[in-house]
Amino acid sequence: MAVVTNPPAENVVVKKAGYGGTFMRVSRYVASRFLTLFITVVIGIYLTIVIANMGGYVDEIIKGEIRDRITQAFIADPAVQQMDPEVRKKLMQEKIALEEKRRGLDTPIAIRNARYLSNALRLDLGRSINLTSDAGSKQVRLIILERLPATLLLMGTSQLFLFFSSIFIALSLSRSYGSIWDKVVVALSPTSAVPPWFYGIFLILIFAAALKILPFGGMVDSPPPANTFDYAVNVLKHLALPGLSLVLSSFFISVYNYRTFFLIYSSEDYVDMAKAKGLTSRNIERAYILRPTLPTIITNFSLLIIGLWTGALFTETVFLWPGLGRTLFQAIGQYDIPIIVGSTIIYAYLLSITVFLLDFVYVLVDPRVKIGG
Amino acid sequence: MKLRKVYFALSWLVVLSMILAACQTSATEAPTATKSPEAVDAPAATEPPVAATEPPMQTTRHGGWLDEIDISVVAGDSAISQLQAGTIDFFSFNLASDVYPAIKEAGLSSTQSLGGYYGISLNPAVFTDTKVLNPFSNRKIREALNWLIDRNYINQEIFAGGSLPKLLPITTQLVEYTNLIATARALESKYAYNVEKAKEIIDAEMPAMGAVLGEDGKWQFNGEPVTLTFLIRSDGDGTRQPIGDYVSNQLESVGLTVDRQYKTSSEAFPIWLGTAGADGQWHMYTAGYGVSGLGSLRDESGNLQQSYLNTSTQAGEPYISNVSDPEFQKLGDDLAQGKYSSKEERDAMMARGLELALEDSLFVWVIDQQVYAPYNNNAQVTFDLATGPESTNVGPYNLRFVGQEGGTMKVGTNDLFTQPWNTIGGSNWIWDANVHRATSMGASSVTGGGGLMADPYTGLAYPQRIASAELTYKEGLPINQNLNWLTVTTAPQVDVPEDAWVDWDAKEQRFITAAEKFPDGLTSNIKSVVTYPVDLFDTVKWHDGSPISVGDFVMSMIQGFDPGKPDSAIYDESLALSINATLVSFKGYRITSTDPLTIESYTDTYLSDAELNITPLWPQSPYGLSGENSWQVLAISNLAEAAGELAYTSDKADGAEIENTSWVGGPSLEILAKYLDQAAGESYIPYEPTLGQYITREEADLRYSNFKKWYEEHGHFWVGTGPYYLDKVFPTEKSLVLKNNSDFVDLADRWSEFSEPKRATTVLDGPGQVKVGDEAVFDVSVSFKDEPYLQSDIRGVRYILYDATGAVVTVGDADAIGDGQYQVTLGAEITSKLTTGSARLEVAVVPIPVAIPSFTSFDFVAIP
Repeated sequence: MAVVTNPPAENVVVKKAGYGGTFMRVSRYVASRFLTLFITVVIGIYLTIVIANMGGYVDEIIKGEIRDRITQAFIADPAVQQMDPEVRKKLMQEKIALEEKRRGLDTPIAIRNARYLSNALRLDLGRSINLTSDAGSKQVRLIILERLPATLLLMGTSQLFLFFSSIFIALSLSRSYGSIWDKVVVALSPTSAVPPWFYGIFLILIFAAALKILPFGGMVDSPPPANTFDYAVNVLKHLALPGLSLVLSSFFISVYNYRTFFLIYSSEDYVDMAKAKGLTSRNIERAYILRPTLPTIITNFSLLIIGLWTGALFTETVFLWPGLGRTLFQAIGQYDIPIIVGSTIIYAYLLSITVFLLDFVYVLVDPRVKIGG
Repeated sequence: MKLRKVYFALSWLVVLSMILAACQTSATEAPTATKSPEAVDAPAATEPPVAATEPPMQTTRHGGWLDEIDISVVAGDSAISQLQAGTIDFFSFNLASDVYPAIKEAGLSSTQSLGGYYGISLNPAVFTDTKVLNPFSNRKIREALNWLIDRNYINQEIFAGGSLPKLLPITTQLVEYTNLIATARALESKYAYNVEKAKEIIDAEMPAMGAVLGEDGKWQFNGEPVTLTFLIRSDGDGTRQPIGDYVSNQLESVGLTVDRQYKTSSEAFPIWLGTAGADGQWHMYTAGYGVSGLGSLRDESGNLQQSYLNTSTQAGEPYISNVSDPEFQKLGDDLAQGKYSSKEERDAMMARGLELALEDSLFVWVIDQQVYAPYNNNAQVTFDLATGPESTNVGPYNLRFVGQEGGTMKVGTNDLFTQPWNTIGGSNWIWDANVHRATSMGASSVTGGGGLMADPYTGLAYPQRIASAELTYKEGLPINQNLNWLTVTTAPQVDVPEDAWVDWDAKEQRFITAAEKFPDGLTSNIKSVVTYPVDLFDTVKWHDGSPISVGDFVMSMIQGFDPGKPDSAIYDESLALSINATLVSFKGYRITSTDPLTIESYTDTYLSDAELNITPLWPQSPYGLSGENSWQVLAISNLAEAAGELAYTSDKADGAEIENTSWVGGPSLEILAKYLDQAAGESYIPYEPTLGQYITREEADLRYSNFKKWYEEHGHFWVGTGPYYLDKVFPTEKSLVLKNNSDFVDLADRWSEFSEPKRATTVLDGPGQVKVGDEAVFDVSVSFKDEPYLQSDIRGVRYILYDATGAVVTVGDADAIGDGQYQVTLGAEITSKLTTGSARLEVAVVPIPVAIPSFTSFDFVAIP
C-alpha cells in the first residue's frame, strides 16, 4: 500500500482567503472542479474502450473465433457432412453472419464506441457479450452485483486490516527508530516485491496441501452449510488464505512507508519544541504528528476504500474466489468490453467523487486549507 | 556480533536446504532417448488405467450407487493435491498428459482418453508477391516434413511419454486405425523419422523452385533468406509452443529460416483463417483440434475431405488454396459422401486415401493427445475412451466407492454454470453437460435419444428404455450391423407413409403430414421403428414424481420445429437456421401406437453402424444438447418467451435485451414461477390442438402441482428421469448437490459390465533367431487381468513383419488356438524375404468389447 504524500489539490489554497463572497467562490470552484473531473472521466473511459477493443482489431479476432467455432460445430454434425456442399456453405455463412450480428460486428466500430461511452456515462451498463452471472444473467449490472460482496469481503477485510495495523505499528516504530523491530521491518520490506498470488500458492501448499487445515480455494465448502452461523464461519475459513496473502504481500512495505512518513513529521521543529515543553508522547503523537498527517492518511484511506472495488485479479483467480477481480480477468481474456467498461466507469466515478469530496474534507481536518480562491 | 551469528546460521541453513533439494529424486522420469529412425514403436505409450473395480454382485438398490454427489469447481493445478488431501475423491475434468507422471507419483488412479490432436497446418498457396517463395506450395516439401519431425521425441519431451505420436488423419489406435492396421503401420514405417531423407527431398526441390543454397547453408530466394512465418500458439495447455520451437529447429537444421511468431488463439486466428493464403502472411500454424464422443470416431472417412481438400466443410483458408492430386480429390469427396457400395471397397479407398493424404500433407500431424482425469483409489470411474469421464453417458450410473453402496462422493471440475441451463439453447459446456447426464435417462449423444445407452468403449449403443427396434435402410448404403438387439433389413426404396409428420404448422399448431407437404410421395434412406416397454408410463417418473407420458414425447417433437417458424410465438432466428438445416434430411415421425408406445422415424442422414441409425425419441433436447425436458417445463418457458420476458438462446436474448432462460438460477426463476402459477391456474395444455389429444386436464393439474412442490423444495426447475436428481444448486458458490433417485426404474448394477474397459494385455514370444527360408512359429497370449481373453471377444489378431530396414515384409492373421492363445506361423516363403539382420514381428489384437487394439512386438535375428 503506497502512501500518498502529495500536497492537497492545486486549487486548494493554503491560508489566505480570496475576495468575493464565500458562496460564489465555492460555487465557482465546485463547477470548475466538477467539469474538469467529468472531462477526465470521459477521456479515461473512451481510452478504456479503445484499448479494450484494440482500436478495432478485436473485431478481427472475434470474427476469427466465430468462424472457427461454427466450423467446428458443423464438422461434428453428421447431417451437415452429408449435405450438398453449396447448401452447407450457405448455411454456415448465414450462421456466421447471425453470430456476427449478435456480437454487434455489423455496426461500425466508431458508432459502437460512441454507444459504449454514452451508455457508460449514463451508468447504463447494458449486457455482456459472453460472460454470464453465475445465476445465468447477462446484465452487466447483475454480474457486478453478484460478485461485489465477495470482493468487498476479501478486499475489505485484508485492506482495512492492512491499513490500520500498518498505521498502528508504524507509529510505534517511529517512536523506537533503530530498534530491532524497526530493523526487521526495514529488512523485510523488499518481500513486498512478491505479488500476493505468489504468497497465495505457498500458503495453499502449506496450509491446505501439507497441513490440511484450511481449504484450497473457493468461498465456501461444497455443499455450503445450511445454517447461517456455520456458513459465516465457513466463509471465514476460506477467507483466511487469500486474505493473508494480500496482507502479507503488502504488510512490510506499508509499515515501512508509514513509519518513514511519521519519522519525517517526528523530526519537525515543532515536535522537538513540544518534547522540550515536556508534553507526553501520546499528546505529541496525536496533536503534533497525526494531526498534520491527517489529510494524507485520509486520502490514502479513501483511495483504499474505492480500490476495494477493483478486486484482486490474480489472487482471486488463484483462490477461485468469486469476486470482481476474477470476473474482470475473464472479461479481459474474452474481450467482453461491456464488463470491462462497466467496471471501469464505476471506478472512475467513485474516484472522481472521492477526489472531489476530499477537497472539502481537507478543509475540515486542516484549518490552514480553504476551498477555491 | 549476535546478529552476525544469526546471519551465519541462516546462510548455512539456506545452503543445506539447497543441497538437500538437489539430492532429491526427480519427480518425473528422465526423458527417454529418441528411438532409432527405423523403429516403429507401438503407440500404446501408457499402461491401461489402474482402476479399482468391484466384482459383480447383486444389488437391490435403484438409481446410482452413491447417495450423494457433491460437485464443485476446483482448480486443475491443485487437483492432485486436493485428492491427496482428501478434499475431493475425483477430479472429473481431463488434465493434459504432462501431469500423468505426477498422478502416478501420487499413487492415484486415472482415466485415460483422447484429448484432441495437434498438427502443423501448412499454407499451400503460391504467394502473390513473387519475390517471396513459399516452399509449402510444393507438395513434396510438405510431405518431407513428415520425415523431418521426430514424433516420438515430441511425445517423450513435451507430453512426458503420455500421448501417442500421430502421423495419419485418423485417430491413432481407434476404430478406423484398427480397421486399416496394415496400411497404418506400413505408412508409419515408411514415414519414420529420417532427417537425411527430408533434407534430400528439400535439397532436390528447392532449386527447382528457384531457391539457392547460400554459403551459410541457408536457402535464399531473390537474394533473401527463405523465411517461414510460423504462427506458434503460446496459450492453451502450453504444449504447442515447444512443438512449434522443435519444428522450427528442425527446419532451420535443413537450411530454412524461421520467423517464430508466438501468438494466442485470438491473435493467430485472424491471420491463419482470416487472410488469403496467397497474401503470404503465414507459412505454418500449430493447429489443434478437440474430439467428440467415441461413437462419432467410429467412422473417420470424412477426414480426408475435411482436413485436406478444397471441398472441406471448413470452406475457407487454407483448404481453398490447396490444389490436391485429382485422384485424392475424388477419393476424399467420394468417401465423405459415402459413394461406395461395400465395407471392403470403402476400406480400400481409405487405405489409398491415407497414402495420398501423406503425399498431400496440407497438415503434418504430430500428436494424438491423451488426457487423464485423476481419482482416489477407492473410487470407481467409468469413462468414454475418446472424451473422458465428463462426456460419458454411463459414467454417473457406475460412479461409486469400491465395495460400497451409498456414500457421498466429492467431485471437482473445471467450471459450472458457464451459461444458463435449458435444453433448447442453454449450456452445453462439458462440465454442465456432465451434471445433465447424471439427471437423465442414458442419453446417447450420437443417437440423440434417451432410449439407448452409449457403450463408452466401442461407441456403439445398447437399448436402455426400448423394448425392440427395427432398422430398414435403402439398399446399397454402406451400413453394418454389429449387435443383435435390433432387426436390420434393406429395401429398394423406403417410402414415408402419407400420415407421417414431416413439418409443423405454427399458426394452426398442428403437424403437417407427408401427404400435405409432399403430395407426390416421399422416400427416405432410413426408417427406424422403436417400440418402448409396455410399462414405460408406469415405471418411469420425473424427479418431481409425475409419471412420464406420451405428451412429453410429442412436446419434444413440437419443440424441435416450432421455434423455427416465423408464425410461432417463440420464433427464434438462430434456432430457425438449425431447424431448416435439419429439415433438409429429416423425413418424418409417425406414432403408430401409444400402448405400447411405438414411433417410426424417417431420415436421409445415416451412419455406418446400424445401431447408431436407430432413433429412440425421448423427452430430451431436440437440439442435441444434454438434459431432459418434461412438457410442463417447456410449457412455462414457452409462455415466458412468448411474453417477451425470457429467451432460450443467447442470440435471441441479446437481441431482445431480455434474460436467457435458466431453469436453475437467476432472474429466470421468478419469471418461470409466475408462469407456473398461471399455467396451473388455467390447467394449461400447450399446443392444445395437437397435445390436447395426448394430455388430459387431470394430467396437467398433477404436473403443475408436482412441479410447484418441487420448486418450493429445491429452488429450481431442473427435473429429469435419471439415476440422480439435482437437489440443490449454488450458482455463486459454483457447486451443486446430486442425490440418488431411489424411484429410478433400473437397479444400480444395470450397466456394471461397463465398469472398466477390457483392454487386452498381449505377450508375444518366439525364437530369438530365425533362419532365412525356414518356418518360424511365434506364440501370442492375450489376457485381461491375468485371465485369458475369450476368443469370442476377439475380432482378430493381425501380425506385421518388418525387416532390418523397418520396411513391412508381410501382413497376416494369427491362428486361434484357444481362449487367449494365438499362433503366428511365418512360412518358409515369408522368411525367405527377410534380409539377414534384425527383424521385428508385431501383433495387433483387436478386441470386440474395446475399440482400442493391443500392440506388442518381438525382435529376432534373421540368420543366413
